[in-house]
Amino acid sequence: MATVKVSEAEKVYILHGIRDDLRVDGRGCEDYRHMEIETDVVSNTDGSAKVSLGHTAVLVGVKADIGKPRPMVPDEGYLEFFVDCSANATPEFEGRGGDELGTELSNTLYKVFDNKHSVDLKSLCISAGEHCWVLYVDVLLLQCDGNLYDAISVAVKAALFNTKIPRVHISADEEGTKEIELSDDPYDCMRLNVENVPCVVTLCKVGHRHVVDATLQEKACSVASLIISVTHKGTVTCMRKTGGGSLDPESIFEMTEAGKRVGKALHAPLMTLLQEEESLGKKRLKVGFLG
Amino acid sequence: FQSKYDKTLFSDELTRLTKTRSGGVMKIVREHYLRDDIWCGSEACSGCKQESTVLQTDACMESSLCSYPHYLVPDTNVVLHQIDVLEDPVIRNVIILQTVLQEVRHRSAPVYKRLKDVLHEKEKHFYTFTNEHHRETFIDREPGESANDRNDRAIRVAAKWYSQHLKTFECDKDGLKVVLLTNDQGNKQKAEESGLLVYKCEEYIKSLIANPELVDRLALSNDDKNEIGSSKVLFPEHLPLSRIQAGIKCGSFLQGTFRASRDNYLEATVFVQGEGDDSTEVLLQGLQNLNRAVHQDVVAVQLLPRSQWVAPSSVVLQDEGAAKDDDVEEEEEEKAVTEAARKPTGKVVGIIKRNWRPFCGMLNVSQIKESTRHLFTPADRRVPRIRIETRQASTLAGHRIMVAIDGWPKDSRYPNGHFVRSLGSAGEKDTEQEVLLLEHDVPHQAFSQAVLSFLPKMPWAITPEDMVRREDLRHLSVCSVDPPGCTDIDDALHCRELENGNLEVGVHIADVSHFIRPSNALDKEAASRGTTVYLCGKRIDMVPELLSSNLCSLRSNVERFAFSCIWEMNHKAEVLKTRFTKSAINSKASLTYAEAQMRIDDTNMNDEITKSLRGLNKLAKTLKRQRIDKGALTLSSLEVRFHMDSETHDPIDLQTKELMETNSMVEEFMLLANISVAQKIYDEFSECALLRKHPAPPPSNYDILLKAAKSKDVEIHTDSAKALADSLDGAKVDGFPYFNTLLRILATRCMMQAVYFCSGMDSDFHHYGLASPIYTHFTSPIRRYADIIVHRLLAVAIGADSTYPDLMDKHKQSALCNNLNYRHKMSQYAQRASVAFHTQLFFKSRGILNEEGYVLFVRKNAIIVLIPKFGLEGTVFFDTKGKTVPNLVFDEEGPTLSVEQHIFCIFDKVKVTITLDDSNVQHQKIRMSLIEPVITGVSVPAPDAEPQAKKLKLDN
Repeated sequence: MATVKVSEAEKVYILHGIRDDLRVDGRGCEDYRHMEIETDVVSNTDGSAKVSLGHTAVLVGVKADIGKPRPMVPDEGYLEFFVDCSANATPEFEGRGGDELGTELSNTLYKVFDNKHSVDLKSLCISAGEHCWVLYVDVLLLQCDGNLYDAISVAVKAALFNTKIPRVHISADEEGTKEIELSDDPYDCMRLNVENVPCVVTLCKVGHRHVVDATLQEKACSVASLIISVTHKGTVTCMRKTGGGSLDPESIFEMTEAGKRVGKALHAPLMTLLQEEESLGKKRLKVGFLG
Repeated sequence: FQSKYDKTLFSDELTRLTKTRSGGVMKIVREHYLRDDIWCGSEACSGCKQESTVLQTDACMESSLCSYPHYLVPDTNVVLHQIDVLEDPVIRNVIILQTVLQEVRHRSAPVYKRLKDVLHEKEKHFYTFTNEHHRETFIDREPGESANDRNDRAIRVAAKWYSQHLKTFECDKDGLKVVLLTNDQGNKQKAEESGLLVYKCEEYIKSLIANPELVDRLALSNDDKNEIGSSKVLFPEHLPLSRIQAGIKCGSFLQGTFRASRDNYLEATVFVQGEGDDSTEVLLQGLQNLNRAVHQDVVAVQLLPRSQWVAPSSVVLQDEGAAKDDDVEEEEEEKAVTEAARKPTGKVVGIIKRNWRPFCGMLNVSQIKESTRHLFTPADRRVPRIRIETRQASTLAGHRIMVAIDGWPKDSRYPNGHFVRSLGSAGEKDTEQEVLLLEHDVPHQAFSQAVLSFLPKMPWAITPEDMVRREDLRHLSVCSVDPPGCTDIDDALHCRELENGNLEVGVHIADVSHFIRPSNALDKEAASRGTTVYLCGKRIDMVPELLSSNLCSLRSNVERFAFSCIWEMNHKAEVLKTRFTKSAINSKASLTYAEAQMRIDDTNMNDEITKSLRGLNKLAKTLKRQRIDKGALTLSSLEVRFHMDSETHDPIDLQTKELMETNSMVEEFMLLANISVAQKIYDEFSECALLRKHPAPPPSNYDILLKAAKSKDVEIHTDSAKALADSLDGAKVDGFPYFNTLLRILATRCMMQAVYFCSGMDSDFHHYGLASPIYTHFTSPIRRYADIIVHRLLAVAIGADSTYPDLMDKHKQSALCNNLNYRHKMSQYAQRASVAFHTQLFFKSRGILNEEGYVLFVRKNAIIVLIPKFGLEGTVFFDTKGKTVPNLVFDEEGPTLSVEQHIFCIFDKVKVTITLDDSNVQHQKIRMSLIEPVITGVSVPAPDAEPQAKKLKLDN
């Protein structure tokens, strides 16, 4: 992952600031940086979203395709994740440099999103045991400025919200062979219920305190961080610790509580925003990548 | 052009991929550019900065509905169904919207082509308005709106735009208006709501004051049909396409081409193409089972249970009389069919693709005088009769007319159609020729401007640049030998002695590919025509006359481009060296076969050309002998030539073509050139060489020949071409000199059709008839498109020309071959039909003739007689209607037919009288009746032939 070099003096400065709930860019410990979201940015996907958080920028596209359900859960569809760490984001990703991070990120995404509690996988089933929708979620990192997990999770949620799955009809003839027919009306499509889709909150332990949405500098001062996925109700669905340092049980508890609080507060405005954008329909001014 | 990049990513179209790609779903997104520099095309407009205009200011069609000048905007269905009306010269100043054009293109390729032709015609003032790319008329599909509704709305929006645009920008305000034509109630209502002038197509056409006859051309729309058909449902419903497709997939239905029987209107077969050679034919019988399929439609059939299978009936049944539908079922009972004769039998459950085209035929004027509904009988017996509505019945009676089918409701005995145009009175030469061409699908309209624009500019002369890549052979004494009156001279020859004692022989073929460049309009037209069609007294050119009779034709004493094939041969006619080159030649003489023959025979002549001809003739004889030794077949078919009256172009005499030595001389060298070229292009392009093959016939084809020969105690071997050729040569019967020719005629009938193919798609190259392992057509590029392709391939092979992608694409080549084979077949049919028609004309003028002939085939109820003098074949029926049928016994083994006490065998000599039977104007026939041998009750007394004919007979 992209790293910066921070001198001892800078570290001390950052540490002391955080101790006093005042971060280098003026935020409090539980504040996010400025976040921008735009959905429906890639027209040849079925749903897409672009999220920028500070200077971090990610693009998520969702592509729905018809596949075979997994044998253990014949009446559910599933999600597939792929994270592309483009060398545009940082030169370190050049060649195969981003592969490891990409795998790590996508593994976490599987854990967080690909279960029936987060996404209504049953609604993705077309005919049990035979056909289901597979949502290919492709994440492209455009720029890395810390806190990738949170940005990606917000973008995934927004993209899933935006996803329009074409409606299909199954026609079976006398012999029982089934044929899937797509509706020829491009507006005739199914939407996903994203209410329970969690967001990821990453908390970085800096000194004795922890911060949300750490910048690269803050990250360099941190020894360990906790990745928590939180639903809109404040339920923690998944937790992971990264970083080389250790965390004592008490601070894990504190960090979890803070994560729940921040996560809950993140969902509400996100949903309002997405719905507002949706309601604009075709009149919405598209910003895209040049705006 | 300045273009506004205004709105991108408009249409998110979802399309389904087939199951082959694991049933995936793909979303296709197209960028759609809008511009504001699309002009309205009206002469009256002052606002648009257009350079030329199509629509006139003075757009007057006298209509009682619209008294003001107006432009018409038809919607898609109006164009699709009423194209016959739109094509009429009366209808002018029409705006065809892009939406309409695209939809028409999508739904019907033939209508699209016709529409494009109309659009190109300057006098019609048809304008295409690209409304889909105009900033103000483009609309996006709305939620819940079907694609059709969206298109209807787009049409309305564009029409609205036009009316406002004209109102604003019209220079001298004489109230130019736009009239929308639609037959859709809903669309009409919506258009009226938005303040547009809108009429139903029928309404509008009927309102045209000056042209009441246009109404006849209106296709019947849905709501009119009900009143025509009787209320009872005659046919089972067709299944929807989705059910058909599902059925075909799971094997319960079969898909195939419907082929109506020529002889029995209640019978048809469906040819089901299987994988590889596994094709089957399904028999259909009875109106119900035929279920409204028309000849050449692609249909889905369902097989009946085995117990209901039947055998094809051998009865000839024509849909005669006005409306006798009921005596139909009776036929079925009389069949006591043997199990073996039964064939897979089925019924039509649905139509996959209609292949309706306008049909030629004649009107059966209704008995009821005031009736406007009449039945139309197509010339092609395989097509059912069509009910049309016309008020001009009295004028159309006795004319050949064209009628298009509009539909076939399930409660109607006949399909409904409408009158398209009249071709002229029946029996007239021009009319019949037109019918012939239309019925054989021979493209014969004049070349379009687009095609002509690719012709070289006149005056044309060879420039020094041309000569850089060409060999200058202008000094050689080249000459051409052709039939008399030939203006499209493809080939010229020369022969000269070299210093080393060997002979140099050159075949020079017109370099058509120099003038016809790949993929331009001229090339496409030629590819589509495929071949020049020679009818009696008329030639339908494949390429415009400037090329066929002038620039490409290797006439004498003019400099012409040629593609030359030059061999060095020894005196034993063995090829030592072969070389191909593009060249320029100057033919020294254009000779006819007879002239050439005379030069060769006349010992007094010793000029260069004559010497050259003698050399060629000598070599040709050797070549021919070598070829025959290898097993090439010399078959025979009688070709007929008419002596035409120079003024009336009526045939005044008729004789079979004579073959001279020089015919075979030219032929030998053409064969040699073709074989050399075939080898060369195949060596160079093993995957995409265009070749010609002639498959060996299956042994069963020879049955009739073997039986016939056996009846005269002659043995014919058919194991190989060589064996066949040898045994044919040996087949002689004393006192019957014509026997050999007859046998060869029979052998010809056993042969397969030779076809073009692409070397990459086939492995069997053998040409059976010529006994050559490889063959192609190189020598007649003026009249055959295959030769042009071969020229291009050869030019690439020798580095004289550049290649292009389609030339190397074996699938495209293969598709081209299919078209060429089809055109070739159709042109032969047309040719035969033309000869038949002229034969009829001839016999009409000659009255009754008595002639001698030979029995060629023996059938159950007839014998087929060949009259060598006229190359004419005719049938003598023994069970003519209305007469007592004599005692007929048919023996299949012989085959022989005994009529009363006389037994007819193949090759029997008979005497017949020939008359023209014109009781059916559409199908005039040569009728023959037996004079000798005399069989009481069967043969007729020899009528007195007219004096003129008698004289002919005497000097025979």
